[in-house]
Amino acid sequence: MLDILHPNISNINKNNIDINLSEEKIKINIRGKNKEFFTKVGKILSIILPSESNTSSSNENYDVLWLSPDEWMVYFDENKNSNIFDQLYKDISSLKFGSITDISSQLICINIKGENIFELLSSGSPFNFEKFKNNVGSSTQTIVNHIDVILHHKSKNNVNLFVRRSFSEHLYEWLVDSSNFV
Amino acid sequence: MFLINCPFCGERDQSEFSSGGEAHIVRPKQPTELSDDEWAEYLFMRKNIKGIQFERWNHVHGCRKWFNVVRDTSNDKILSVYKMGEKPPVNYK
Repeated sequence: MLDILHPNISNINKNNIDINLSEEKIKINIRGKNKEFFTKVGKILSIILPSESNTSSSNENYDVLWLSPDEWMVYFDENKNSNIFDQLYKDISSLKFGSITDISSQLICINIKGENIFELLSSGSPFNFEKFKNNVGSSTQTIVNHIDVILHHKSKNNVNLFVRRSFSEHLYEWLVDSSNFV
Repeated sequence: MFLINCPFCGERDQSEFSSGGEAHIVRPKQPTELSDDEWAEYLFMRKNIKGIQFERWNHVHGCRKWFNVVRDTSNDKILSVYKMGEKPPVNYK
């Protein structure tokens, strides 16, 4: 049984697929569409929000995923810039330029690495991974094993999968089980 | 099963979407002045055409945006997709 409170102990390697449940990431949902919003976010994160669908932007500190035309998710390691949420909230939400929500507790990050990861994900998803797997930096929202997920192609054959906490145990077990058959 | 070309995310499987029923139904400006029959007509009565139908769809497992679709219900062929607020394509009217 997966220990959801101590996620880093859960590391599975099967059939060239490495599945690691990692909770130590801050995730922030940002929404907005006016000029001030883009200026403030760019200034605080030192990053330009991706405007093209299914893409992401990254710098040494942050990864920003496109979720919809006026919605993005920023994620980064817990030990980096822990006050960035307060800064974004103060400069954007408080001034009503957009909406900033800390969703760190809502989502669990499962890191999947290895040569066969796209075969594994394809076995439970209607999403066509052909373009996604050839483009590092791609991101998408889709369903895997009937569960809503956000996927980020972080580096070659290395995907960060974000899933709601309540579904994470079931999805993790499905991934581990399915990795036996790819 | 069929593919729907989300105007924001691109082509995705139908299972990522949720149908929102008939499109372009305008809410009456003065609901209090309507009879019960007229209100029921607006609220409940929908076309069920065999052929070309204008529908609303939501990319519920993706970008969560609403958009309009022109679909031939006899063969599930998607003829056109356009964003909310845009005018429907005239060639299917």
